[in-house]
This record gives sequence, C-alpha cells and structure tokens, in this order.
Amino acid sequence: MSPHRIEFATSRATEFVDVTDRIREAVRRSGLRDGRVHLQSLHTTLGIAVNENEPLLHRDFESMLERLAPTGAGYEHDDFTRRFDIPLDEPVNGHAHCRQLLLSAFATLLVEDGQLLLGRWQSVFAVELDGPRHRQLALQLDGDFARLRDEVPEALVEIELSRQLMVDPDAVASPMRRLVEAGGKRLRPKLVQLTAAIGPRNDPLRAAELAAAVELLHNATLVHDDYVDESTYRRGRPTVASEEGPERAIAVGDFYFAKATRLIAEMGNAGVTSAVAEALEAICASQIDDVALRGAYPGDRESYLRVVRGKTASLFAAACASGALLSEAAPEVVGALRRYGDLLGIAFQMADDMVDFSPSSGKPVGQDVRQRVLSLPLIYAAEDRVVGPEVRRLLAGTLGDAEVGRVTELVTSCEALPRVRKEAQALVEDAVRELESIALDGLRPTLVGLARSAVDRNS
Amino acid sequence: MSVQVQSLDRELDRLEGLWSDGLSETYRAYLDNVGRFAPEKQPKLALAAALIEVGLRLQGLGGRPAPPTTLLMGDLCLARGSRLLADNAPLAVQVAFARAIESMSSAAASEQPTPATRPLLASSLGAGS
Repeated sequence: MSPHRIEFATSRATEFVDVTDRIREAVRRSGLRDGRVHLQSLHTTLGIAVNENEPLLHRDFESMLERLAPTGAGYEHDDFTRRFDIPLDEPVNGHAHCRQLLLSAFATLLVEDGQLLLGRWQSVFAVELDGPRHRQLALQLDGDFARLRDEVPEALVEIELSRQLMVDPDAVASPMRRLVEAGGKRLRPKLVQLTAAIGPRNDPLRAAELAAAVELLHNATLVHDDYVDESTYRRGRPTVASEEGPERAIAVGDFYFAKATRLIAEMGNAGVTSAVAEALEAICASQIDDVALRGAYPGDRESYLRVVRGKTASLFAAACASGALLSEAAPEVVGALRRYGDLLGIAFQMADDMVDFSPSSGKPVGQDVRQRVLSLPLIYAAEDRVVGPEVRRLLAGTLGDAEVGRVTELVTSCEALPRVRKEAQALVEDAVRELESIALDGLRPTLVGLARSAVDRNS
Repeated sequence: MSVQVQSLDRELDRLEGLWSDGLSETYRAYLDNVGRFAPEKQPKLALAAALIEVGLRLQGLGGRPAPPTTLLMGDLCLARGSRLLADNAPLAVQVAFARAIESMSSAAASEQPTPATRPLLASSLGAGS
C-alpha cells in the first residue's frame, strides 16, 4: 500500500480541478503495475468526479448543481441561531454540502500495466463546491508494484553494453567485450540507475544508456591502468595489454574513452556531460600522483586519500550526480548524492585494499603489495610501532614471493586491517547521513544497503 | 595573445612542461580554426584541440606505445581536452571530436594507417557550422 496526497488551491466558488496527470504521476512514481488507486476527498464540500474535460460542459454541470441545490435557498445548516459551537469563520454553505451529496467523496480507479485506466474522454476532477480554498485529496495505491525500486533493472545495462559493443569494430570491441563479460561489480552503473530514479524525469532506458556509458568509461580507464601497473590478470582473465600488447591496449582504452564521452554528450544534458568529464580528468590526474607516490611507497594517509578521491571516488560521485541530474532532481539532491558517492567511493577503495590481505577472497593475496599499489592497510602497518620497521625495510627492497608473504603476514598481525575497516565503516555512515536531509522517493533503504554492502565484503 | 594564455593558466596545471615543449605551438595553430566561436571560448577550444592532438601523440597511438608515465600524461591531456569541450563546445563539436578519436583509435587497433590528427581535429572544430 502506497499513500500519497494531492494538494491544490482553488480560485472560484465552484471549480473543476483536473487531477488526472497528478494521479498518473503518483502511479508512475510508485511503480504500481496492476492494481487500484483509491482516491478520497478530505473535505465535506469537495467532490470527486470522472468526466470529460470540456469547459462548456463544466458550465453545464455548474448550472445543474445550482438548479438542484441553489445558493442561499434557506438551508437549515445556514441558520446559525439553531447550531452550537459555530466557529467564527463558519461559511454560509449549506448549498455546497448538499451539492457534495450529489457527487461523491471517493473514487477507485484501475491501473493496468502501469497505466491509469481511463476512457478516451475521461478525466478525474476534484470538484470545488465552496471555494476558493486550499484542498487535499488522499490517495492510496494497492496491487502489484514493479520491483524497480528494490531491484535495479541490471539487465537493461547489460543489454545496452552488448548493443554498444556489437556495433564497434572488432579490433576494439573484442578485447573490451572480454573485459566487460568477465564481470565486475557494476557499482557505478547501479548508482547511476538508482539515482536516475529520484528526480521527476525517471526514464529507465535513458538511465541504462548513461549507466552503460559510465561503465564503458570505467573499463577504458582499467585497460590503460593495467598497462601502467603491468598487471597480467584482471577479473580472472588476461589483461588487454598482456594478451594483445600495449599498442592495442592504448587504442582500446582511447576508443572507449571517446565513445563513452560521445554517448554521454549525445544524451544532451550539459550537467551530466560536465560531471563525467570532470571525474575523468580527476581520475587521470590522480593516476599520475599514484605512480609518483610509488617512489615513497607506501606513502601516508593524506596522499592516499588525495589519490583515492580522484582515482576511485570521483567516478562514484559523478555516477550519483549524473543519474540525479538526468532525472532532473533538485540541486540540493544532486549535491547530497555527489557527496554520498564521494564518501562511498573512498570507503569502497579502503574495502578493496583490505581484500588484498584476505585469503578467502579468491584473488592472490598480496597482489597490491607486489605491484606497489597504494594501500591504506599497508600505510598503517608501516606506521605501526611494532611491525612498522620491518614492513618499511621489506618494502624498500625487491619484493619477491617471500617478501610479499612476510609483508602480508605483518599487515594481518597488527591493527592495520581493523583500523581501516573502522574508518571505511565510518565513511559509509557519513555517506548515509548525506541522504538524511533529502527526499529520495523511497530509495533511501536501497542506497543505504548498497553503501554498507560495498564495505562489508570479501571480494 | 598573452591575455588569452593567462586565461588558460588553470587549464595548464600540471602541463606547464608540455606547454613549453610544443603544446603552445599546437595551440596557436588551432587558433585559426576557432574564429566562429564567442571570443571567450576561442582559447579554450583551441587548447582543447591542442591537448587532444598532443595527448594522442604522447600516448603513441598508432605508433610506438608510450612508456607508462608518458601514457598517463597523454591520458590527462585527453581528459582535460574533453572536459574543456564539454564545458565550452556545442554538442556537434563534442561529438565530432569523440568520433575523430574513435576513428583514429580503431584504425590503430586494426593496424591500419591512422588518419592525420590535425586536419581531423581542425575539421571537428567546424562541425555543425
């Protein structure tokens, strides 16, 4: 059951207010697929009618009501000398009450396949009988609701990704298809889809197009990253650079960087284009910082946060902001979601760092250490009073299997991992707090759940 | 000219070395192709085109691949050029630039000769006119 209110002000004594579109909007936003809308007037001089929206007809109705219950026709209700507890502003409106008796205070409308079921000429009216006034209609919707709110239609993104890859030249599409089909958490597209359902312009197909473009962009950056980091495997498969060489990796990354930015630009929303372009620039700038910091490996917390904010969090923030912008959400909603994405992105990266030290993750332990990838647990271990000196000494030398094994042993033996976990969880709670002050149309639990699950994971 | 370059200071952050190492000449070459845009947009659009040309060259697209750190600098040039286009260029120009990079990179991936960069980007600046 989904409750709503429709509020409006009338400007005349008798007035037909067409509320059809507002009911349709309530149905759309609720996700009701098949069921009923129960409509109830919350006033004794406001009726409900289903009829044709034709101004001359409204004058006929008005005349009919006037004939059946004329104004000032000596209603007993208007004789205040015979009534008790009369408020000072009690109107003379016996005629309006009688007219409402001729109409109805209730209506039940049917919804089929997500659409309000009305005949070609039918509209739904709130009939003001004693205006002008501020009025309210109550709505309750029941029936079968689409699960769109709880379950992001991920299939739409997968279809869109396949569709885009299908039209590309094989030399670039094949390596990208292998990377995309190898999986990944698809958190960024999920954030786009969720936040694109918040504003008044919720279009799941457009959201899926944007989500797929963001995912392509993310994968394009990974193709170049893997070459830079000399990674041989990603998502359990050989990287593009290791399998097809750096020339191909550079070209594939460039192609999908360009294609994704074009797809986003072609959506025609300047705010979305700028949000993603800024994120991409932040990613590239922080990649340079990341590589530069490897000279002083493992670095410090401040440098780590600066790099992670650009490298990971910027695209999380852009995903959240761009989805909200696409749906034309209010600026304060876009701002709060951007901050939510930023905090979630940092927390996500911290959780990712911890996975490198987990033997049950399904990935080789200590891979980040081996590749000298920036890692907060390693920074904290290097700062630890007990294990720090040995960690720093090992990291200063060549990192073979024995050294990597010893470093991971030292990291897991000290307080580094619990400290990072606590910090990541605190960031998630900060992210959740960003959602408290904004209207999210029922999506808060999903966004909160997504944030918490992004940190409480083992892979 | 100096006023125009001053207005680009922020956009040259981290790229100062490139500016003195050929980016400034490339930028000046593209100034000839931006006359149809509003005066305040012209330097930014010429810089966007120059960054994309220099970025692709640094990466070694279609040629000898750049070493990792140079690739990252090329990526930053591309990303900044793209952001400058997003903030300053009409949609048709943004799309034309993206398509130009797509055609060059797909040719490089297919080991086909890559189209010459400058004429392609210069004509992208004229898209939609």
